[in-house]
Amino acid sequence: MKNFFISHRGSLLTLLGLILLPFLVGLLNGASPADVFVNGNGQSKFIQGLAIEIFILTIYALSFDVIFGITGLLSFGHSMFFAVGAYLTGIAIKSFGLSLPATLGWLVVASVVQALLFGLVLPRVKGITFALVTLGLGSVFHILVMSSEFGEYTGADVGLQGVIVPAFISPATERLRFYFVALTVMVLIYLLYQRFVNSPTGRVCVAIRENEGRAQMLGYNTFYFKLSALLLSSLTAALAGFLHTLYQPIVSPNTAGLGYTVTALLILLIGGVGTLNGAFVGAIVFRLLDYGLRRYIGESASFINGAIYVLFVLFIPYGIVGTWRLKSLQIKQGWERLLKMFG
Amino acid sequence: MVNRQSSNLEGIMDNEIIFETQNLTKQFGALVAVDSVSIKVRKNSLHAIIGPNGAGKTTFFNLLSGNIEPTSGKVIFKGRDITHQPVHRTIHYGIGRSFQITNIFPNLTVFENIRLAAQALGRDNFKFWQAASQFKNYAERTLDVIEKVGLKDRVHTLARTLPHGDQRKLELGMILAPDPEVLLLDEPTAGMASEQVPELIELIQGIQKAGNKTVMLVEHNMNVVMSVSDQITVMHQGKVLAEGTPSEIAANKEVQTAYLGGLYELNV
Repeated sequence: MKNFFISHRGSLLTLLGLILLPFLVGLLNGASPADVFVNGNGQSKFIQGLAIEIFILTIYALSFDVIFGITGLLSFGHSMFFAVGAYLTGIAIKSFGLSLPATLGWLVVASVVQALLFGLVLPRVKGITFALVTLGLGSVFHILVMSSEFGEYTGADVGLQGVIVPAFISPATERLRFYFVALTVMVLIYLLYQRFVNSPTGRVCVAIRENEGRAQMLGYNTFYFKLSALLLSSLTAALAGFLHTLYQPIVSPNTAGLGYTVTALLILLIGGVGTLNGAFVGAIVFRLLDYGLRRYIGESASFINGAIYVLFVLFIPYGIVGTWRLKSLQIKQGWERLLKMFG
Repeated sequence: MVNRQSSNLEGIMDNEIIFETQNLTKQFGALVAVDSVSIKVRKNSLHAIIGPNGAGKTTFFNLLSGNIEPTSGKVIFKGRDITHQPVHRTIHYGIGRSFQITNIFPNLTVFENIRLAAQALGRDNFKFWQAASQFKNYAERTLDVIEKVGLKDRVHTLARTLPHGDQRKLELGMILAPDPEVLLLDEPTAGMASEQVPELIELIQGIQKAGNKTVMLVEHNMNVVMSVSDQITVMHQGKVLAEGTPSEIAANKEVQTAYLGGLYELNV
């Protein structure tokens, strides 16, 4: 048990920090924890909002990491997984007046269907061809949500607006509650992913990334493993979309575009592809950079943003978490060699 | 021609034949890489396939292991037609296959490389809610195999950082982990330093004798082939040129001219 705390101290401290964050920010602004808890505090509420966005981005980036970083499938239609969740949530609540559990039920159905749709092309195309086919699938979906034929439901190019979020979880009045719901969902998804990666199934997914031909020759029908990664990814991304719609509560058609897939890719490149923890670290950097630059520099922010990412890829190709792990391993090995020399 | 070769094996009971091909043919466009090859492999024997470059040896192995599908003909393993089985099925029947070019998971440890091979044939592949480390049977099997192939002090080394000879051993371990009945080894000593070759050959012979396994070997090192094989099939331009025991092959005039022709000093 003691070992558990020591070996997971980083994650546990991060979790503790995230639980205390709203109250600490409140204290800095002279509001007692009770104030934050009951009334909400301006500055604390703002930081909570930023954190919620980071949590949602983390869940979304994790869903990309399991297919791209773990299984080695580069999908350029990944934003569709997110947008299906986001749009379906909005439409279910706004146009059909469904409850949240019923909405989640439909999300599961839609996620499974779209994972199977992507799965259809899996055995036929590999590598860059898979990227292009998924780009095509994603673009079709993007065009569909933009088209005026479905404008009644999707809001066409304006986006889906006017979703009435149930009062008990409304991000406007119950921000702190929403904060903890989003945090809990993120932590649960993260734990699920850790378990998946270390499970027999996840290990085979890693093997597929490393050398798919060899995995087949070991006797694995790789199709089913890639499909299970897609299923997990699809369900997770839809859940991120669900939270996104509840929080915003509008859905822009941009969430279905290629740009949103690139967002997931960028987050992973910053944090570290295939590391899981990198999704969270990357999401923090991504969101804060975006916010900070927009606030202090204004419109030219995206130019500087882009330059920073280029530098990132050039100087830290394994991402923050990836590089950290590499370096700490090297330092550990160095110490071992040093101790060997004297012992 | 083809009929003559199988004459050596006449009189052997059919149940002693583990692997058999019937007029196996593979065409790549106009090129006939494997041309109507019929051979029988006896159980628990060490059967070598030799021949000059481009004779179709590797293609023949690919047909046996299901990596590619034949144009015509049949592959029969233990009396069962496996001609059209994909590669991820044939290993479940008991066929392990290694490659001329080292084929491993470079960024995984030696342990994980072999553990994945051990896990493949179990029924736990989709238990995503359990940690892989909880399946002790695979871990034990993995450590057994690592010891057998002599990589005991390299358990947690990344496969790509191993020297070439050790990578070949690792690959052998990956084939052994699921405990196949037949090992198809495609030039196991390729690229190895000559002083490492005897060690690996001893290892292969030891595995074959101890575990009652059938080994099929493609090999260019004639000294190795002549000393370890029970039976040799010589391929030339996709066809079977001759078949027999090492001494029969060494004495065969056709083989001398087509392949061995002065290139190898045979001291049989």
